Amino acid sequence: MKVNVIQVNSAVEEKADICAVKITEEIQSAIELLEDNRRSIPCADGSETVMCRTETIYYVESVDKRTYVYTKDKCYETKYRLYELEKILKFHYFRCSKAMIVNIRKIKSVKAEMNGRMTAELLNGEQIVISRYYVKELKRKLGLMI
Amino acid sequence: MTKVKIVFNQTLMISTAILFGIGIQWWIEYMSGGSGTVVWYWYSPFEIIFTGFMGAVPTVLICDWKGRGLGKMRLGIRLFLHFICLGAMVSFCGYLFKWYGGWKEYLPIAVMYVLIYGFVWAVTRWLTKSDAKKINEVLKEIQDQE
Repeated sequence: MKVNVIQVNSAVEEKADICAVKITEEIQSAIELLEDNRRSIPCADGSETVMCRTETIYYVESVDKRTYVYTKDKCYETKYRLYELEKILKFHYFRCSKAMIVNIRKIKSVKAEMNGRMTAELLNGEQIVISRYYVKELKRKLGLMI
Repeated sequence: MTKVKIVFNQTLMISTAILFGIGIQWWIEYMSGGSGTVVWYWYSPFEIIFTGFMGAVPTVLICDWKGRGLGKMRLGIRLFLHFICLGAMVSFCGYLFKWYGGWKEYLPIAVMYVLIYGFVWAVTRWLTKSDAKKINEVLKEIQDQE
């Protein structure tokens, strides 16, 4: 497929037009990937409901059957289950442990631990653990494993 | 399922390590003018695999590699316990299968065990560190600017 990229001056002008005979799996993936940044998740901030943009999410954690969404400096509760969010946030996110999904773009660096697991430092300074089992998943997402 | 996988992997790893130890021992004997011949009974491979399996049990019981949980101190204690229990299991199986008759024959086995354990540990650590380095290189290219 021929791809044209035109540089624009502001984010508001950003758009993607796809001309295709049929919406194939690849095109659907591309659409979802492009729309990913524009997607929001309804979350509870106390008694208020706020829409949390997916690109602002650092990680999502499940604690005692409740799901919490963490941004740079805020924490919200959401009605989604972790596995549901894993499906919604599939592109830049990966499961780093049984109870957590993390935004890869918010990881500053990773450090190897003694037992094969890794500690990831996020852009806001928080540290999370990547279980040994899920290190493979991260490598696969980053294209380091075939 | 994960535990079954760990037992299977550990059985393979320990069995290979035992074969490697036997190989080194007989190579040393050959190099120092001995015959370098191993008496290999029909049940010898089963003895090695059984020892590998028995050695996998302490790994499942002692090493909690999953999730967060263990601090450096507790991890160190568990590792030490694992080292002792695995050594005890190999020694016990070696005694059961008459791989050694007395201290003189046991000592090279014990030395070999310490060397192989240290070697496997060092290689695993090196591999994890090298993975972390590769991951950090890719992360630098895709991480958000905040």
